[in-house]
Amino acid sequence: MKKIAMTAALGLALLGTPFILQAAEGGSIASKVEELGKMTHLKVSDMRAVKRDGLLRIQVTIANSSSDKQQLYYRFRWLDDDGFTVWEEEPWKPELIHGLQKKVISVVSPSFKATDFRLEMQSPENEGAPFSGNNAPGGITNQ
Amino acid sequence: MIAFKPQTLLLPALLALSLSACQTTSPTAAGDGSVSYGDAKAVETVTTDLGSTDIQMIAEKMTQSLLQTPEVQTAIKKRQLLMASPVQNKTSEYFDTRLITDTILTQLQKNGVKYVIGGEDMQNQVDELRRQNQSGLYKKSKSAKVGNMEGAKYRLDGSISSIVKKGSTVKDVYYKMNLRLIEIETGIVEWSDEKEIRKSAKR
Repeated sequence: MKKIAMTAALGLALLGTPFILQAAEGGSIASKVEELGKMTHLKVSDMRAVKRDGLLRIQVTIANSSSDKQQLYYRFRWLDDDGFTVWEEEPWKPELIHGLQKKVISVVSPSFKATDFRLEMQSPENEGAPFSGNNAPGGITNQ
Repeated sequence: MIAFKPQTLLLPALLALSLSACQTTSPTAAGDGSVSYGDAKAVETVTTDLGSTDIQMIAEKMTQSLLQTPEVQTAIKKRQLLMASPVQNKTSEYFDTRLITDTILTQLQKNGVKYVIGGEDMQNQVDELRRQNQSGLYKKSKSAKVGNMEGAKYRLDGSISSIVKKGSTVKDVYYKMNLRLIEIETGIVEWSDEKEIRKSAKR
């Protein structure tokens, strides 16, 4: 049933009607988000997608529940209808999220072939950090 | 006579088997283990200097922004040509700005944008055309004709600048890349965008 709802939502996106994924709706955000380790402070609070001019546009709101600033690393994986990747691996992108801030990340698919996506997210307090070098807390920050 | 339990013999045997498996199946040449391959897409924070992550983020943002513009979408449909002028490096560091423009052109090309070469690559093109036409070595019917190269309708141009501030305990670097899409015939800037990056380090 969930799959049908998701397919319908993507169908709407293809028609140019934006669809909103909400955490309350049976974990539909969860189906698009891949966390590298459980993130305690950062959460995706809102996610929207629409296909416009042939390009998939995504808007994700990341909420920081901590009063301290949090470093987020993220990247998108672009897929076609059959789940194949249509673009090369994206670089990981750093994003600094201030204490209690809700940050909006807007992206556009790099290819006209993209009809679906996954959002990979990681915060350094978890395992499996995609960064290299001196990026421990207190090290270099990149915004 | 010492009697071994089957379990005590099994563990060393398994260990030996797994170690030998590692040695034989790893597709690596001999080395002392001090060199390793990393993730080319990883966030690189070795120093505050402009690095791979910055270049990748700038190119990605510019490509995404360019693809949305009506001029580029028309250029794809009507096969209008693009080219990239050298991006000016106004920062205090040395790096090859072609790292950025080459990636942008490659990513646009994957979406159907056609671009022509210019600048440094032009000499090789001219040399080959001359070789085919003036050396007398090639069949006329099978050689590229002179005078058929196509000029670009649009060119990409831009600059990257930085502001560096150093305190007693902190170093802060602000980078700003500006890119423009200019119609060559008219000089009109049809599109422009910026990417800002802030990096800071404790000293």
